[in-house]
Amino acid sequence: MDEFEQWKEQVVHWWNLGLEYLHQVPPTQLYAAAAVLAFTTFLLLLTVRLFKRAKSHTIVLTGLSGSGKTVLFYQLRDGSTHQGTVTSMEPNEGTFILHSETTKKGKIKPVHIVDIPGHSRLRPKLDEYLPKAAGIVFVVDALEFLPNCRAASEYLYDILTKGSVVKKKIPLLILCNKTDKVTAHSKEFIRRQIEKEIDKLRASRSAISDADIANEFTLGVAGEQFSFSQCYNEVTTAEASGLNGEISQLEQFIRKYVKP
Amino acid sequence: MLEQLLIFTRGGLILWTCKELGNALRGSPIDTLIRSCLLEERSGAASYNYDVPGAAYTLKWTFHNELGIVFVAVYQRILHLLYVEDLLAMVKREFSEIYDPKRTVYHDFDETFRQLKMEAEARAEDMKKSNPVGRTIVNGKKQGQGQKPGSEGGSKKKSEGSLKSDGGDGDNLRGHKMENGHSNDHFVVTKESKVNSNINGKENESSNVGAFDVNRLQKLKVKGGKKTDTATNTTTKASKAEPKKKMTKKNRVWDESPPETKLDFTDPVGENGESNIDVVAADQGESMMDKEEILSSESETEEDDDVGMNNKPDAKKKGWFSSMFQSIAGKANLEKSDLEPALKALKDRLMTKNVAEEIAEKLCESVAASLEGKKLASFTRISSTVHAAMEEALVRILTPKRSIDILRDVHVAKEQRKPYVVVFVGVNGVGKSTNLAKVAYWLQQHNINVMMAACDTFRSGAVEQLRTHARRLQIPIFEKGYEKDPAIVAKEAIQEASRNGSDVVLVDTAGRMQDNEPLMRALSKLIYLNNPDLVLFVGEALVGNDAVDQLSKFNQKLADLSASANPRLIDGILLTKFDTIDDKVGAALSMVYISGAPVMFVGCGQSYTDLKKLNVKSIVKTLLK
Ligand SMILES: Nc1nc2c(ncn2[C@@H]2O[C@H](COP(=O)(O)OP(=O)(O)OP(=O)(O)O)[C@@H](O)[C@H]2O)c(=O)[nH]1
Ligand SMILES: [Mg+2]
Repeated sequence: MDEFEQWKEQVVHWWNLGLEYLHQVPPTQLYAAAAVLAFTTFLLLLTVRLFKRAKSHTIVLTGLSGSGKTVLFYQLRDGSTHQGTVTSMEPNEGTFILHSETTKKGKIKPVHIVDIPGHSRLRPKLDEYLPKAAGIVFVVDALEFLPNCRAASEYLYDILTKGSVVKKKIPLLILCNKTDKVTAHSKEFIRRQIEKEIDKLRASRSAISDADIANEFTLGVAGEQFSFSQCYNEVTTAEASGLNGEISQLEQFIRKYVKP
Repeated sequence: MLEQLLIFTRGGLILWTCKELGNALRGSPIDTLIRSCLLEERSGAASYNYDVPGAAYTLKWTFHNELGIVFVAVYQRILHLLYVEDLLAMVKREFSEIYDPKRTVYHDFDETFRQLKMEAEARAEDMKKSNPVGRTIVNGKKQGQGQKPGSEGGSKKKSEGSLKSDGGDGDNLRGHKMENGHSNDHFVVTKESKVNSNINGKENESSNVGAFDVNRLQKLKVKGGKKTDTATNTTTKASKAEPKKKMTKKNRVWDESPPETKLDFTDPVGENGESNIDVVAADQGESMMDKEEILSSESETEEDDDVGMNNKPDAKKKGWFSSMFQSIAGKANLEKSDLEPALKALKDRLMTKNVAEEIAEKLCESVAASLEGKKLASFTRISSTVHAAMEEALVRILTPKRSIDILRDVHVAKEQRKPYVVVFVGVNGVGKSTNLAKVAYWLQQHNINVMMAACDTFRSGAVEQLRTHARRLQIPIFEKGYEKDPAIVAKEAIQEASRNGSDVVLVDTAGRMQDNEPLMRALSKLIYLNNPDLVLFVGEALVGNDAVDQLSKFNQKLADLSASANPRLIDGILLTKFDTIDDKVGAALSMVYISGAPVMFVGCGQSYTDLKKLNVKSIVKTLLK
């Protein structure tokens, strides 16, 4: 206890010394010093932020449940589907060099890939990852597309109108998966159908009262048929087969926004 | 026969399946289990039934929360397999030893599984054979042991030796099961625990005594043995004796397991285990030898471990210091008993927010199942971990799983040139007609032609009330007085709407108590006959425990009394009088949880504009405030 008291006295003593010294310094000099200090911290924070943003290397895999995100995730990571998948209950996450790049020489920058479960109850999870995403991959089941068209479009609409996506203009890839089957729809067809569907959604999502579903932003140009070219961010389409490992277009997209 | 056993990560990657069983499952029972049970905060339940044409499966599961893996067993329901839980627990235990997050192939587990399965089957056989009367006792005893780690808040964690020394008979396995498989035991426990309450009662006394004194432990062992000897039926002995021999060689493997997994062995389990050995030992002379060996070799390790485990005092003596120490160091693994106080507090808080007790209870169970065995991160308290898990669960429940964009549905119906029909149902006096008018007003604002159908032909004045709203809003109303069958009135209204080009028909029905059979039958008929696009349940935000009863009975009656094979149930909820409840928003949660249907609208005042969407985030915040 005594030691503590002593220690306390010592601190008070130093404090007083410091105060005295401060009183001796002219006030203008003091203000200048404070201003310089504030300015440098500000600069520091800014650079840290810019640095962080520039370094974003996160690619987010989204899409309805059963579209094949988890399969794609493991294809990207291990080049294998292992023993198959079941519905995900939690995101899969990993920072790695793509499997196809493991044979390449030289230093390659790893990618942070997140596979968000498609079950609608788990969608709030998406908001955690979107702000730091360098690119979004929206996986669509090209095989069972028509019955899921509306649900997929609604999900995509919600993503495209999120503030975090619009403000940062995060590029989005609509990836038509399961093209290994001959009955799969083409990416042009899917793109057109989704555009049509989103066009209708725009009408029902224009809020006039509290009872409406309001999105943060609206899509497209009023009075014009919606097309993805009207989006604030870049929206492209590609094809893939997670089962066969034909994922070169997906890898191209990833490497376009997360440079190796 | 077991149909399939799967091990997969929570991320959805299958780690191991039994190729030997290899039966292709019909339908997709696993995905259905995940989507409609595990993700619906119902993982506290004991089993899940899945039906497809040609098969009726029962699924059982257990989690390993620390590793984030899930174990699911599938079997034909008619078979009533007794060993499934036992097997799952063993598989979980064995698999978690070899699991490595980087590894994705586990072919070497095939052999282990074959053995585990054989053992489990043999034990189930023995139980059946040994004595039909004795079976229930053995069973009861086993369940009782399982219950203790959960129900007993205080005494845990004696030295690991106490369990280890239970030697090589079947109880060893059970001990492991206790440790890992609470979630599974949980339900069965409640049914059978009374069978052996006398055993439990006696043994609890002794289990709280000393923790690390080896001598005392051994004394206790003897005591325990005597106790069970007198307390339990002699049939226990017979059934225990047989499997014991088979198991002795397996025992070695368990001894090699890393110590940290053993830290949470609970002493009542250990003691019961021991007492059983003693029973066995007293009974059968010939196997005494190897028993003795195991016991002595293990009491050594016991002593060794004591040194390293001094920081684990009896829970009752645990003061603020140790709990602070734990929060800094990060606790080994969360146990159910650790979670209990925090969960209890959370349950009470939910109930003060008017959440039905039953729902609060189930939610807490599900949260417990998702946290048990997890490691507590450094600098976090248990309560905040539980709080965070509950918040996530609540957001999950309240997030609609189907689209609630009615306008989009209306547009689709419009394209198909048929009116979109909404039936408003609910108990008396909740504000069906008023809120029907609000919805009508809202649709009108979106340039949709609305028509009302007065199908409350039961309560006098109901038609007039609706007519007043219709006149004020300048909306056509279809009415046929009070004489007619409401189902017919609705039918005619829809026909009329098709004729005059209305886009939406809002059907008002009589308020009815959920127990009123004739009126429920009439409602069922109305819904069956007209096949509406949306059955909207109107409920008061004021209700507490009754919310569960109302919704579950409505759904139940609609299902039971319906003439079709695929009965229509409630699709959505309209919560009324939301402005009068302050922070008691629990009814929203109760109703959504029990019906699985989303809250589509919230009525919050007296004027036509007082209709809102539910704000999930703010509801969750209020619930946990
Ligand atoms: N034919 C074919 N089937 C595929 C392909 N990719 C995935 N599948 C199948 O689609 C099913 C679902 O795949 P998952 O990767 O689990 O789907 P997910 O998108 O992760 O689903 P959630 O986790 O529920 O969101 C699996 O049965 C796969 O075998 C593909 O390229 N072709
Ligand atoms: Mg998945």
